[in-house]
Amino acid sequence: MSMDQRPDLRQQVTLLELVDRVLNKGVVLSGDITLSVADVDLVYVGLRVLLSSVATLEEQGMPVAIGDALR
Amino acid sequence: MVEAQAALDLEPSLELVREGRLAGVASRVSLAEFDESALAERLGDAVWVEEKIRLHEQVLERVLAATTVLPCRFCTVYRAEADLRRFLSERQEALAAALTEVAGRVELGVKAFVDPERFEAGGAQENEQIRELTTQAAAAEGGRAYLESRRLERLVSDERARFGQEAASQLHRRLLGPAERGVLLDLQRPELSGRDEEMVLNSAYLVSDRPGFERELAALARELSERGIELELTGPWPPYNFVSEELRA
Repeated sequence: MSMDQRPDLRQQVTLLELVDRVLNKGVVLSGDITLSVADVDLVYVGLRVLLSSVATLEEQGMPVAIGDALR
Repeated sequence: MVEAQAALDLEPSLELVREGRLAGVASRVSLAEFDESALAERLGDAVWVEEKIRLHEQVLERVLAATTVLPCRFCTVYRAEADLRRFLSERQEALAAALTEVAGRVELGVKAFVDPERFEAGGAQENEQIRELTTQAAAAEGGRAYLESRRLERLVSDERARFGQEAASQLHRRLLGPAERGVLLDLQRPELSGRDEEMVLNSAYLVSDRPGFERELAALARELSERGIELELTGPWPPYNFVSEELRA
């Protein structure tokens, strides 16, 4: 199956790309409130697990909109 | 800075906080959502996280389209505008230097995958041992045919791993040519990359000559496609992978 036939999955890939950059890269400012390393890991692991389970559902032929899967 | 202001005019919740030569792009958020205690709970809410992460990126991309931007890590909150101003003013030199480094440049992401079927028909046939074994396996019968085909499978799989690594380092080396800088990122497993093929390269490049970079990528795609390599280009991104983390005040 080509990527073009899996729009939902493509959207998740973009989210993962984003997560990889927005949470892990970029300038770390000395804000009054910032995500601690533990916070970031938590979000990161949570989203990865989530993306992973959505991708698994997709592979099993069950198309899931990302919004539904995230709830 | 005028350009940055124009990019933000469409979004009333965003503010340009000017301090000397620099400006920070900020938006006022509620402590009900972003205070430490509230935040911990929100971070467990994947819907909330996705929405905010996408917003963060959209704002950066709008500013990037207009001027040079240093992407900050998601979720940096100042309790008062004065705190943000103090940061901008105290770290002015370092921030200006970091901006100069990425001025006029964007980040492009490249991923390479090996398609097993195309590799077996293409790249694998460059290996003499594989060619011989393919002929032998085709001629063999019964139990021997089974053993030969298993041997061939293992050999092709080993060769694919070796070829993938070689192609990845060739790609990275060649793409560094038209780029200012480049960095290798962690590979994504197939269930995360959204592709069945094995990822052999995940990299990012800081690029000022985008047409030149894209020409080199297209040339590499043509050269490697028959041997089983597929390439994916993402971006332009704000230069997430090319800003120093060492800008803490």
